[in-house]
Amino acid sequence: MDLATNIKNITDPILIDYLNTNILNNDPFKKPFVENYKYAQLNKKINSDFKASTFAIPKSLLDTCFDISSQPYPELDLLKNLQDWNFHNADSVFRTGSLVGRKSIQIKLDNFKESILLLDLTKIQNNIVIDATLNPSKVLIIVNANRNQEIPQSIFINSIQDSNLEIVHFDICNKKSFLYFQALLEKGSSLSLTTIQNFNNHIRNEFYASLDSECNFSLQGLNFDNKGVNDNYSFIQHLKPSSSSREIFKSIVNDGAITNFQGKIYVDAKAQKTDGYQMSRSLLLDNLSKANNKPELEIYADDVKCSHGSTISKINQDQLYYFNTRGISNEMAKIILKKAFLMEVLNTIKDTQIKEFSINLIDSLLNGY
Amino acid sequence: MLEIKNLHVSIEGKKILKGLDLKINKGEVHALMGPNGSGKSTLSYVLSGKDGYEIDKGSISYKNKNLLELEVDERANEGLFLAFQYPMEIPGVQTSFFLRTAINSKRKYLGEPEIDSLDFAKSMRVVAEKLSIAPEMLKRDLNVNYSGGEKKKQEILQMSMLNPDMAILDETDSGLDIDALRIVSDGVNNLRNKNNSFLVITHYQRLLNYIKPDFVHIIADGKIVKSGDYSLALELEEQGYEKLSINQ
Repeated sequence: MDLATNIKNITDPILIDYLNTNILNNDPFKKPFVENYKYAQLNKKINSDFKASTFAIPKSLLDTCFDISSQPYPELDLLKNLQDWNFHNADSVFRTGSLVGRKSIQIKLDNFKESILLLDLTKIQNNIVIDATLNPSKVLIIVNANRNQEIPQSIFINSIQDSNLEIVHFDICNKKSFLYFQALLEKGSSLSLTTIQNFNNHIRNEFYASLDSECNFSLQGLNFDNKGVNDNYSFIQHLKPSSSSREIFKSIVNDGAITNFQGKIYVDAKAQKTDGYQMSRSLLLDNLSKANNKPELEIYADDVKCSHGSTISKINQDQLYYFNTRGISNEMAKIILKKAFLMEVLNTIKDTQIKEFSINLIDSLLNGY
Repeated sequence: MLEIKNLHVSIEGKKILKGLDLKINKGEVHALMGPNGSGKSTLSYVLSGKDGYEIDKGSISYKNKNLLELEVDERANEGLFLAFQYPMEIPGVQTSFFLRTAINSKRKYLGEPEIDSLDFAKSMRVVAEKLSIAPEMLKRDLNVNYSGGEKKKQEILQMSMLNPDMAILDETDSGLDIDALRIVSDGVNNLRNKNNSFLVITHYQRLLNYIKPDFVHIIADGKIVKSGDYSLALELEEQGYEKLSINQ
């Protein structure tokens, strides 16, 4: 793979500058972080002709949530705090690129009395720093839809000590979208992040999480009916003892699309009694499509429980036949089997209202947009 | 109802059925018995339309239509039902949802409106109770972590709800304890009427004590070698397959 050719179509000056300095002047294959882009064929995504549909946030969701997107927020100088974001052997183009190029704002969830909050990224172009709340726990819905630009957007989540936050991220109808999530979990905090990706072409999402002691972090991903190349990269690091992380990523790939999932669990030498789990599963619906799953563990402590697994499969023909013998057509059976495949992830959404909304939304998305 | 003439079937070049003839009229229950590898399950798969079975010769007509021209789901919606020897596990799909989808598929095919969800829930509960299926089972994923007996009951529940014209039971008795065998048989007997037909495939005469067949056929080496009434099953139980087949 010639990385220089692959990225020649990128027009964002900040990104170009970063890539020039950090990748192209060196042998890309010797730098550890280039490994993180092993499957990301940047040129392929950008050249594809794809007309994105438009996603309108359903009224039922707007009624359920309190929209916090358009409030005035204080600005932050994120660059000063860069030393806090020391991820071991991990690097991201988007983090540095977006930090330089954008203003950053700070949103304190404690300032809102409502329990379900909505953040619409089309209304906010800045980097966002979100401070999780202590009590009561809140649900934050982040909608990233109809984006058509390659400037990355960063979202920083500060899970303060003993806080509890659930985030559901809808990533729908984007043509070119780069999102960078970073979560810092302080002692005893819990964070659950679910990302639902549909009708996109050419997206890359990066999820970074750094865990102090006694934290619970869970990351769930759904990626289905997308076009072009879809990258998801995750890096979860356990720095202190007795934290647990759960990760499950599922993708359904069709119409010649490519999905890449690459996820690492890093366990520091000090992080004894870590409990880590990662599972990635992909379902291929035709012979043109492709799924790359790359699970990684990097463990320096000697008293930990960490496991990972990965599967890539086609739809089970015997299951299809069983549906057929009960009069259910192939078309219908495939929709049901796709939903069944996705349900495991949807069931992890804790908030019942949002879970129900997500299931209904996926029902309608599966039945055609 | 169903007429099979001189049916020759092979799988990947290997001949399995070698000139099978069978005629089943409305209101009749036929039992098909035979040793392992004689082609019993192949026949049931061919009737349902499973991929991978080559029809070399012969014809199958069902309700005066050429069955071989219909897709698997069309056959089912035309009232053909196959109760599987090994029902599939479908993780992530609730049993009751699956059943309702199946019923609505049939209704759509017949040009009828979708079933009312209350009516459906009610009739499902009634049938499930008769089959001693606990209501919680209907909320679980279809056949996932069901015992062998529960899976077979599930097949009979589906059959009862879909009310087929022609049902094929492929070794439904295998893996059932005595109580489950009686419950399953009762399920079949409740469904019997003068307008529908059954083909019961089994190894053992025991099932036929509960589901009394009008005709018994013995299949060996891909064709029917002997036909008779219920007494043939008793004779078979006494003498074994080998002797009867040699007699032919």
